Amino acid sequence: MKLVTNKQALVESLATVSKAVSTRTSIQVLSGVLLSAINDVVTLAATDMEISLRAPLSAKIEQPGAVVVPARIVTDVARTLPAGEVVIEQRGGETQVEIRAGESVFDLHSLPAADFPQLPQLAGEEFTVAREAFIETVERVAPAASRDETRPVLTGVLMHLEKNLVRMVATDSYRLSVKETPLDTSVGKAVQAIVPARALTELVRIAGSAADDRIGVVLTENQIGFAVGGVTLISRLIDGQFPNYRQLIPESFDYEVAVGRDELAEAIRRVGLLAHKNSPLRLRFGANMLTISAESQDVGRAHEVVPIQYSGDELEIGFNPDFLEVGVVAVKDSPVYLRFISPLRPGLVKGATDDFLYLVMPIRLSD
Amino acid sequence: MPSNKCSDIMRGMGPRAPHRTIAHLDFDAFFAAVEENCDPSLRGKPVIVGGGERGVVATANYVARRYGIHSAMPLRTARRLCPQGVFITGHFELYREYSQRFRALLGEYSPLVEPLSLDEAYVDLTGTELLFGPPVETARLIQRRVAEELKLSVSVGVATNKLVAKVASDYQKPGGFTVVPPGQEAAFLAPLAVEKLPGVGPHLLEQLRDRGVVTVGDLARVPVPLLRLSFGEWGELLAHRARGEDPCPVAPREEVKSISKEHTFEEDISDPGVLESTLIALTEEVCRRLRSQRLEARTVTVKIRYADFVTHTCSRTLPRPLDVDEVFFAEVLSLFRQGRRRRYRLRLLGVGLSNLTPRAWQDDLFDQRLPLLRELDLKLDTIRERFGKKAVVRGATFSYNPSAVSYTRTSERAVSSQVRLG
Repeated sequence: MKLVTNKQALVESLATVSKAVSTRTSIQVLSGVLLSAINDVVTLAATDMEISLRAPLSAKIEQPGAVVVPARIVTDVARTLPAGEVVIEQRGGETQVEIRAGESVFDLHSLPAADFPQLPQLAGEEFTVAREAFIETVERVAPAASRDETRPVLTGVLMHLEKNLVRMVATDSYRLSVKETPLDTSVGKAVQAIVPARALTELVRIAGSAADDRIGVVLTENQIGFAVGGVTLISRLIDGQFPNYRQLIPESFDYEVAVGRDELAEAIRRVGLLAHKNSPLRLRFGANMLTISAESQDVGRAHEVVPIQYSGDELEIGFNPDFLEVGVVAVKDSPVYLRFISPLRPGLVKGATDDFLYLVMPIRLSD
Repeated sequence: MPSNKCSDIMRGMGPRAPHRTIAHLDFDAFFAAVEENCDPSLRGKPVIVGGGERGVVATANYVARRYGIHSAMPLRTARRLCPQGVFITGHFELYREYSQRFRALLGEYSPLVEPLSLDEAYVDLTGTELLFGPPVETARLIQRRVAEELKLSVSVGVATNKLVAKVASDYQKPGGFTVVPPGQEAAFLAPLAVEKLPGVGPHLLEQLRDRGVVTVGDLARVPVPLLRLSFGEWGELLAHRARGEDPCPVAPREEVKSISKEHTFEEDISDPGVLESTLIALTEEVCRRLRSQRLEARTVTVKIRYADFVTHTCSRTLPRPLDVDEVFFAEVLSLFRQGRRRRYRLRLLGVGLSNLTPRAWQDDLFDQRLPLLRELDLKLDTIRERFGKKAVVRGATFSYNPSAVSYTRTSERAVSSQVRLG
């Protein structure tokens, strides 16, 4: 195998696939990137058996072939090479792969391409979704997904597609986000899947810089594939029953307060510096005034007053500042509406118009 | 010469010492003595401190003991035995303050101080020769300083381990000072009544007496396999104890690692109703202590000891730490049902909480009842703090029966105090 590419293209393609390289594996080949130059196309591929990524590399093939190169070192090498042409070559019968650029020559140990797992080719109904709407939905919902692997279902985002609507739901059991987004395309029949939040976050990273305005989606029984800007992302789906999130959302709320989105988000971020795991952020709603405060025993305390239009009963409620901030920031327009029942029941964060809601469980305040 | 001095110190250091020197210090009639300090006119009169929720004697001074009054005796009996006695409810803040001064004083002589309760502590004096002289003299100095600085009498036992030191401090009360030299442990214990051995309670004592064991020496002569046959692992431990062997280190208590409570039945029990209500009561108690220390727990353990002393423990870890009674009731009962594998009567049940973290009170959307149940627990805690542990009891604990007769009475009282509160 021999191909000629350039430094910039190599660095970018490697960066795209490197997130799928396995970091903790005893299977050595999974810590590599498959480089294949077959049928006039050069692609890079990586997989950790949960997600796989495949990206094109613009290059001239002088001799077709395929090889697995160690991901970490090749990425570091590519980044430090001088700008310009890069030649990657593996001579017949050798296990070494040679990378040449300018006067630098690297001979790296490689593994045979045959050892690399076959990447899935998904067969199923293929449809497209509008890139921006889909990406925005992921960005607003996925932060509420859990990172705790002990309950795998909660590390995923429930994705429901129906006619020309996508609904995503995520919860780590402390908060819940739900967003419905209209799509300008239509799905044949309603489909639903629990997609690892990590896969969707990767998709956002890849699609964010893509020029396409569509994302291709293929859904099978246990896998989902996305295609955008020439890159393919395939993820395993999470098996299991997603919690019935609708029954978690209270039917009615007794208090509603509108607060300027940016003022609120910034105040939470500032005062939140003085809150920590065992001392929550305190929100006190009084006459036309929201007082946000926090106290950390060995550090100090802070408070800030945010003007609001409010004339109801006084209410004091505590939250984890990070959980609250994620919800407020996920609302796109000002003002943000906060709804409560009591300091012991969940609070709701919502915008005025769109179909997004964020439910968050408070922290009990000590008197 | 600095270098010589250094090697001298090295020679005297703990790890090289051939045996340990541990002192057990135990105040004589602590609460009553503190009261006498505060009000010298009490001296020479029978002073009885007690009352509160259990209505029993906490401490009686030595004058009162001449009337036959002893701790844990119902106050009513004490009043009958000694109508002219001075009965005091007790000033626990004050006792705590004395206790802290006592521990601080011990801390001057060793970093290894293990308080057992307000009025007794172990101190490991091993390897302090070069700093303070012979450890036995140091122990005597501590006893003198307690008398001078705290104006309190303390009994001291010095031995090579905690077990023998504790027995020795009780050997000549009040004001005793008993040293058991290395190698003399078994000989010292042998003539003593077997119930003097810590861990031998009334139930075990009865079984030992049935087997003709009266003194610690008798117990030491029972072949170990026989003890193991009768009492399981505990029997083996008992054999060591009878010979005055105890490898436990003096462990300064740092942060709380677990909270637990056990109940030994007066008679071995098999009635599931009584067993389960006992578990509920024990769980209530450990959860109450958990909350009072502002902690949450992830792991809950149930301990089951059968009539033949075979002991099992089983535990479960929750997905996240919690402090709500109701959650642990469910876990404890299911652990018990799974963990009770033998059709024997039970001698003891215990409930423990571990994996403790400072409370976060971050509740879960999936169980929105929990914050409300916690409010209930916190209200009950407040009531119990003001009116005593039995002021409010859950119906499920009614057949829990720590003291067979008095329980009905306390539950009646609980109902009436509920009415008053309402």
